[in-house]
Amino acid sequence: MRDFIQYFLWCVECFFILYMLGYASFLFLSVTVGSSDLYAAKRRNLLKNELSNEYYLPVSIVVPAHNEGVTIEATIRSLLALDYKLYEIIVVDDGSTDGTAQTVRESFRMWPVSRPIQRRIPCQPAQAIYESRAWKVPITLVCKQNGGKADALNMGINVSNYPYFLCMDADSILQHDSLEKIVRPVLEDPSVIAVGGTVRPCNGAEIQNGRVVRYRMPKKLLAAMQVLEYDRSFLASRILFDKFNGNIIISGAFGLFQKNLVIAAGGYDRTTMGEDMELVVKLHVFCREHGRPYRMRYATDAVCWTQVPESLGDLCKQRRRWHIGLFQSMKKHRNILANPKYGAVSFVSYLYFLIYELFSPYIEVFGVFTTLLAFAVDLINVPFMLLFFGIYVAYTAILSLTAFFARIHTIDMRLGIADVCKAISLCAIEVSCLRFIMAWVRMTALIGYRKKKHTWGCIQRQKIDFK
Amino acid sequence: MGSEVFLYAYGLVCLSMLVFNIVYSLHLRSSDRRLRRQVRGIAARAEVQMDRIRQGLPVEMRHRSHMARRLSRAAGLLAFDHYLDELDSNGPVFQEYLHQMRPVLLRLAIVYQKREDTQAAYFCHFLARHNFQRHMQMDQIQQIVATYMGKKSIYCRVNALKALCALGRPETVVAALLDLDGRPGAQLHEKIITETLLTFTGEPDALIRLLWERFERFSSQIQRAVLDYIRFQSGNHCQAMFALLQDAGRGKELRLAAIRYLGKYPYPPARQALVAFVEDPDPLQWEYAAISATSLAQYQGDDVVEALRRAIHSGNWYVRSNAAASLEAHGVSYEDVLDVVAGEDRYAKEMLAYRLESRRLAEENEEALAKA
Repeated sequence: MRDFIQYFLWCVECFFILYMLGYASFLFLSVTVGSSDLYAAKRRNLLKNELSNEYYLPVSIVVPAHNEGVTIEATIRSLLALDYKLYEIIVVDDGSTDGTAQTVRESFRMWPVSRPIQRRIPCQPAQAIYESRAWKVPITLVCKQNGGKADALNMGINVSNYPYFLCMDADSILQHDSLEKIVRPVLEDPSVIAVGGTVRPCNGAEIQNGRVVRYRMPKKLLAAMQVLEYDRSFLASRILFDKFNGNIIISGAFGLFQKNLVIAAGGYDRTTMGEDMELVVKLHVFCREHGRPYRMRYATDAVCWTQVPESLGDLCKQRRRWHIGLFQSMKKHRNILANPKYGAVSFVSYLYFLIYELFSPYIEVFGVFTTLLAFAVDLINVPFMLLFFGIYVAYTAILSLTAFFARIHTIDMRLGIADVCKAISLCAIEVSCLRFIMAWVRMTALIGYRKKKHTWGCIQRQKIDFK
Repeated sequence: MGSEVFLYAYGLVCLSMLVFNIVYSLHLRSSDRRLRRQVRGIAARAEVQMDRIRQGLPVEMRHRSHMARRLSRAAGLLAFDHYLDELDSNGPVFQEYLHQMRPVLLRLAIVYQKREDTQAAYFCHFLARHNFQRHMQMDQIQQIVATYMGKKSIYCRVNALKALCALGRPETVVAALLDLDGRPGAQLHEKIITETLLTFTGEPDALIRLLWERFERFSSQIQRAVLDYIRFQSGNHCQAMFALLQDAGRGKELRLAAIRYLGKYPYPPARQALVAFVEDPDPLQWEYAAISATSLAQYQGDDVVEALRRAIHSGNWYVRSNAAASLEAHGVSYEDVLDVVAGEDRYAKEMLAYRLESRRLAEENEEALAKA
């Protein structure tokens, strides 16, 4: 029996050496590439290597809203403050029960209209449509039966007038120059069909007219840890994947898409929870199957500020939902795996998401249990284990900090000493504690999946302080 | 032993990242201070020369050599850029100073031509921003800047085109566009070309004349951008646009651009052609019909209104929508289109009702704003 356990542990050790080696190398590569890319972008901007004239592409901003009465007004006001001329705002109230539509109607002086809608992609029918021409750009509010976020986005696409649409969350705020910056990749390269922006937690930021006037680490520790996590994950994978057109996620909180192509691909999938990832993977499949040259880009300087959950319960709900969405998208497009037609999208991006995102919670929790087993049968070198764990925490924490400071340095934000200390102390806790809690949450996300695969769960929103 | 090597290797990586973070942070903290020091240094030297100009003396040769050396570094040029921002650019002393600094700029143009694209792009931005055309004739510089169009970086090509537009000589701008066309993979988005041409500081009519002369030598992409530029710049080209519209051998996008132009600047001889496009039943020609329907908003007459009323029943959503919007622009009332509103074509009815309703809301909104 002991021999068997010894053999089993040897196998596990070999697997984990390979697994950790892969992860550590990827993390190092991505943070190094990401940081150097950000610093290079900062230098380019300093030397005015940017498209700075009024090269306006018309963009429809689609804001799906379900029970977002607390934040929706601030979100729309932030959209009206954008440094951009040619855009429209479309709010889709997805069967809210908290008076979201009423808030929008009253805050923006909207009138009912009987507007015809060209239904080119499937969605629930509209119950009422309101418009307002009293602002800088037209605002449209569509009220419809609850059909989920994807359904609301499809409705927004159907209603939109312009050739590009931007999807965002109703609890987010776009930085004043974000629209101008997210369309730049399209102007630089006409083969660009989608652009993802940077999503940053706004907890702790004071925003006036779409400008961050004061930035501090959030007071709540959980939110502060997510700031570090966001910077690491955005920097870690997206900039690197962008180098070889391999991004398979554009956050639903901030993404620009070519409308006709999305319609041709069938729009958002209403049966999945991870509609943002599903759409991007679908666009890869669509373009490659039709032999259409395309690029999907990541705009590091286009920033969207979003609220991150401040309670552990809300965070768990969010991560559970993300994991189910990831599972659904990867399952639906499993033919990409090891398919030479998809090149790096298959052999790097899909494989990375499969091993280090979808399977990682199972692998990590399995690793913890195996360590406990080895400890129980006295087959573990405790000092070496502690050294290993220490190096792992230090390594990941320093890379998180590198990503965090690269972001801070390149957007000319100044952090106080207290915030720097907070970031340094929290990054170790994030890596050593929060990560394992989230691994457990994600591991259990698929339990009872069939029953709750269409249930989003409700996350407590805070009023956004938009001045 | 093997695993330990990995651990120590990654520990070393941690340490080097940490050092990098600290060093970069310190470097960043001092960068503003360094720039301010550079600006002060340049200002002190330039002020001495401007005093000389006030006394009727020329700028010293030594100063020119010093500035040529100093501005050859991107940091120096950046500081000079900031210094120029602080000055009264219309002052006669300053203009004379820049005039006498012309050889320095010429030398810089040659120096930055050989530099990496980022710095070359910045030099072009610098030229465009300070609009040196106002201060001096710079034909030689224009010839050199035109060669920047061959650089790989899109920012360099865009900034070079901007600099040429700021320098304001039509021949160089048109030559640069032709050069751009001849380089595979160097094309710029039509919107970028149009907007950059709109910044041209010379005589726009001269530029447009030259663009028409060389029109056939451009690719269809640049032709589209040129037509859009002419649309935003001048209404004196209806005849040429109409000829382009009638030429069936032209590409679709060019003819659509011509229709847009004739919609912005009504041209009576084009009226029949636009009406014919709107009434064309061929579903493959829907784009001509849709854009013509929009353009007809600017053309008066019963035949136009009748054509738009018929277009309301088109099978194409965009033709219906644009025709309804144009009818609204013509000021038709419910009574005028009662047959459509009370008719059986639900799509036509919905579209028209929405447009009429939109107009009513816009009027109510204006009234509410006036009262407020």
